[in-house]
This record gives sequence, C-alpha cells and structure tokens, in this order.
Amino acid sequence: MAWTFNRPLHSLTSEDQNRAAKDIWEGESLGGIAENNNPLPRPVIGLLLLTFVTALAITAPLYGQRPTAAIYADYVALMNSTMVQEVMNDRTITHNEAKTQAMALIEDSLAHFDSPYTFQREQHPIDLDQLRVIAPQIVELQKAGVDLEEYNVIGPEVIKSNFFNIQDDGSILAKQPWWDKGYEISFWYFIGFCLAVIIAVKRLPHFSWRPDHSIAH
Amino acid sequence: MLKYLFAKEDDIPQGTAAIFFGVSSIAWFIIGTGLGSFNAAKLAFPDFFHGLYALQFGHMRQVHVHAVIFGWIAMAFAASMMYITPALGNTKLWSEKLGVWNCLLYNVGLCLALALLWSGVTSGREYSDHIWPIDLYIAFVMVVPWSLNVWMTILNRRTQGIYTTNWFFAACMFMTIIVFLIGNMPEWLHLTGLNEAYMTWWFAHNILGLLITPVAAAITYYIVPKVTGNPLYSHRVGHLHFWSIVVFYSTPAAHHLMSSPLPEWLKSFASVEGVLILVPAVAYVCNILLTMQGKWAMFVENIEIKFTITGVLLAIPLNMQGGFQQTRAINWYIHGTGWIVAHAHLALLGFSTFAEAAAVYYGMQVLLRRKLYSASLANFHFWMLLIGFSLYWTSMTISGLIQGAAKIYEVPYVDVVIAEHPYMIVRWLGGTMVFFGNIVWLYNMIMTARVGDIVPVGRQPAEVAYTR
Repeated sequence: MAWTFNRPLHSLTSEDQNRAAKDIWEGESLGGIAENNNPLPRPVIGLLLLTFVTALAITAPLYGQRPTAAIYADYVALMNSTMVQEVMNDRTITHNEAKTQAMALIEDSLAHFDSPYTFQREQHPIDLDQLRVIAPQIVELQKAGVDLEEYNVIGPEVIKSNFFNIQDDGSILAKQPWWDKGYEISFWYFIGFCLAVIIAVKRLPHFSWRPDHSIAH
Repeated sequence: MLKYLFAKEDDIPQGTAAIFFGVSSIAWFIIGTGLGSFNAAKLAFPDFFHGLYALQFGHMRQVHVHAVIFGWIAMAFAASMMYITPALGNTKLWSEKLGVWNCLLYNVGLCLALALLWSGVTSGREYSDHIWPIDLYIAFVMVVPWSLNVWMTILNRRTQGIYTTNWFFAACMFMTIIVFLIGNMPEWLHLTGLNEAYMTWWFAHNILGLLITPVAAAITYYIVPKVTGNPLYSHRVGHLHFWSIVVFYSTPAAHHLMSSPLPEWLKSFASVEGVLILVPAVAYVCNILLTMQGKWAMFVENIEIKFTITGVLLAIPLNMQGGFQQTRAINWYIHGTGWIVAHAHLALLGFSTFAEAAAVYYGMQVLLRRKLYSASLANFHFWMLLIGFSLYWTSMTISGLIQGAAKIYEVPYVDVVIAEHPYMIVRWLGGTMVFFGNIVWLYNMIMTARVGDIVPVGRQPAEVAYTR
C-alpha cells in the first residue's frame, strides 16, 4: 500500500497503484454490474453539513430537561405559609375548590418575583396533590443543606440526579449542563468519522477519472 | 427439499438454497401479516375473539413480531444473499447443501421459537423475547451457518474487487452475530434494572440498524443497477454510506430510553448520533436515485424497480422521522404512543419489505429461469402492499399524536381509547390488505414456478416481461 501526500486533496495513492485500481475497475465485471466514480454532489455535501449542524442544534440538552427539585422549593415554602394553609383548611369550601384556590394563590405569589426557574416551571407545571407528595422530601433535603438543583423530581420521588459532571478539583456535580460531555464526544466523533472517510475515498482514483464500462461489459 | 438434504454438493442445482429460503420467506410473510391482522382486529374490535389464553394480545404480539422479523425479513435476506453474493463474485454459493440444511433448521427453529412464545415461555424483553436455549439455537444453528455461507462465498470469489452489496452482506452478518450474543446478555447473565433495559434496547436498535436497514439497502444496490443496466452512480458514496452506517447507526441505542435514568451525557451522545443517521440515509438515497438516471420509466413498467424505488423513497420519511423523533424535545411527546408503532412499520413494512419483495421477485425469476406468471397480479400485490401500508402508517401516526396529546394533558385513558377507535379500524384494514396481497403473491410465485414462461438464456426477466 503506497501512500503519497504531495496532493492530499487529489489522491493519497501513488500513480502506479491508481493505475492498477483503474485496470481492475474497468476490466472486471462484478456479476454484470458496473460502478461509476462520481463524487458526492455539492448540494448533498451542503445537506450533510446542515445535518450535522441540525444534529447539534436540535439535540441540545437544554431541551427536554427533567424538573429539578429547586424549581419547586418556592412552591413548597408558599404551600406551608399561613396564607395558603388557611385556604387549604377552609371548611366553608369544597376540597377541590380549596386545592384550586390554594394553587392559584401560590402561582399568583410566584408571578410577582423574578426567578431563574420561570422557564422550567412553565415546562413542568405541578398541581397541589403532586406538591403535597414531594414537599416533605424537599423540606428534608433543605434541612440537610444539599443543593436542590442536584435533585430531580421523577413522579412522586425526589432523587439525586444521574449526571456525572466531573469538575477540575475531581468532585462530581450532579447538574445537567446545557452542553455536556456527550456533546463533546459527538463533535469529535463526527470529525474523526469525516477524516476516516475522506482518507478512504482519497485512496481511490480521483473522481475526475471516468471508468470505461465497455471493456468488461 | 428432502432429496437435497443428503445429496452430494455437486448434485444440488445452484440457487436451490435461495429458492427454499425465498419460498419460506413468502410463507412466513403471510403467517406474520395474518397474525398482525388478527392482532389489529383485537385492538379495533375488543370483543372480536377471546376465551383462548394463547390467542390473547399479550402472546400474539410477540409471535407476530418474530414471525415477521425472523420469518419474513431475515429469510428474505437469506434468500437474497444466497443468490446475490455468488453472482457478484462470479462464482457459486460456497455450499448449497449447507444452505438447504440451514433453511430446514431455520424453519424448524422458528416454529419452535414461536410455539414457545405462543405458550407464554418468554424472556419478557421486547424484541429479545426468546429464552436462552432458543437464543443459542438462533445464533449457532440459524445465523452462523448462513453467515458462513456468505463469508466463504466472498472469500472464494473469482473477482478481485468486492461490490458494495457484498461489503454490507458480510459486515452485517458479522455485526448481527455480535449484536445477538451481546444483546442477549441480560438473558445469559440475569442482568436487571438499568443494565437490562439498556442492553435490551441496544439489541433492538442494532438489529434494526446493523441488519435490517443496511441489508435492505444492500439489496437495492444490487437490484437497481442489475435491472436498469445503469452503473451504480458512485462507488465512493457507497463508502460514505457503509462507514456512516457502522459509525452512526451502532451508537444511538440510548435514544430509546430518553426518559430513563441513564447518564444524561450518554443520552446527549445518542441523540446527536440519532440525527446523524441522516448521513448514511442521504448518501444512500442520493446514490440509488442518481443511479436511476435515464431509466425512470422502469419505475412504472418494471415490478422489481417499482418495489425497490418505492422502498428507497420510503427511506426518506423513515430517516427523517427516526432522526427527529428521538430528540428530547419530541420524544417526551410521542414516546410510548402509536407513533412509534407507525415508525417501526415504516422501517419494516415500508422501506425494508419493499426492497426484500423486489429481491425475492427478481431472484425467483432468475433462479427458476421463468418469468412471472402474471405481471397484473404482481402489480395488484404492489398496490395492496403500498395502500395497506400507507393506511396503517397514517392511521397509527395520527393515533400516536392523539395519545401524545392525551398523555401531556392527562386526558382520561378511556377517552383516548374512544378517540383512537376509528384509527384502529383503519389500521386493521391496512394490515389486512397487506395480508391478502401476500396470499396473491404466493399464488403468483407458485404459478410462476409451475407454468411461467421460460426466460431465454442470456436474457433478463425484465427484458421479456412484456413479451409473450
């Protein structure tokens, strides 16, 4: 296998080897089938690049994140406030009315304050029944002094997130970044793939050469 | 078949194994789609049939899936490989006798496997439902001898070059064995929890990605140039397709479990790779459609090209859907709904089946040296398959969107069942059309073998399709 690197974008193969490849290409019938040596059409190259950009853009971990316990901490605090508890325990209205009014009160109160979690709260709405189930778990975590952003709410449970963001000091942060190492691997994986395929096709005779199929067929 | 089991290798006519596999595949296609139609009827009309435990949906679904995958699709692949691989190497099949035994034991094994599933003996894992003795049988009695025949035929070829189709055949059989043995690790090693879930979907994803999709594509790489007489548009684009299948199709298994507690970085990686499956798809579709230049009239006139190109065109929505539905933003909406069922049928009943049907149509005519008994019946089969599949796909896609909306807005389940009912009826109708189309196909092929006109030596069936 002779390699030549003087014109890498033209061919990586010596002229002798290219000539031998051309002889086989033109002189051999593979079950009556012939193959051309056309390059990938330029619009298709553009489409493939667009595919890569789209792949990274549309799969950003930012989209589809699980709710963290942190986004419900204010809900829990408000639910346990005297104001909301009074509504929840109001015997003059029905149970369902109490739930609806209490939740409306919580959401109205939250709307008055800026929060880094506004977007995620809209993505992951919650009702009072669900809040009641997760509230004691969130309170326990707050007492333990942990970072609630490292905990996910999955159904009725609040559990430690399954992220492995290893920090420079060796500690592991269980938070979902908008760009994670899976992304980084994908990026380099794609670059590696492109290089490997370019090398593979550049070992073939240059695409300007058109095989003569009348020789073998 | 029996007379060839103990015959000398030289006394077995070339193509015998391919013919047995081809006929078996059509028979299993009828069985598989018949079971599918029965299952769909149970979903459309819940009171349609009950009282017999073995015929309940929970049993029948697996039997349908495995009859179609191992019976129809895999046996049509085996039939194709056993005549295309030697043809492309200008040689004969390494061992027709091994092929005939392989076909017999394949059918016996499949009957046993399905009977066990029917009676409820299952691993309980979707797509890798078989218990471990059956897994071993499938791997070492059904798949390894088949692979051996393909590899040895390629090694004994009388050409220096290896055509694109044979790269795929050889590599896919190798990858399938690896996928099968590793993917059934939960069964061998009693893996549980997340490991079990991941391995189960690694298996299911790669059986689709490294066997069914690329082998169907490889078949079209043969049929289109062979029947049209055009050279393949580009050998180098074939490289891009092949390597991108290996690199991008083997890695995104985690995108089947986007809602699971797998590490998020793995899901991110899988999700990007999932969209990058569009790379082989774009390369492949471009290569085949450009090969058709100047021969588009055959898309109307020729039955093999009609099937093949329809399959290739279905690969476009298949890969667009597949690429985008697995992203986090879309997956949370359609996961666990009929949308996924529609997508699976787009892959197996759409793209893949159309390519395989073309290969079986072409192979049977070439190997029997007889032209089709009836082009009209073949066209009828094509339209029954296409219309039936389209009804199935669109109804299940709509049904999936309804289920997705209902899931997000927490609509009571019974209301969803009522809303889906018309689409379940359409699904049953579409599946039943496919089933009846296949019965017509079997009749047409039997009549072709018995009374089809002889194709003159040196001529292609396509060349004499319209001559009397």
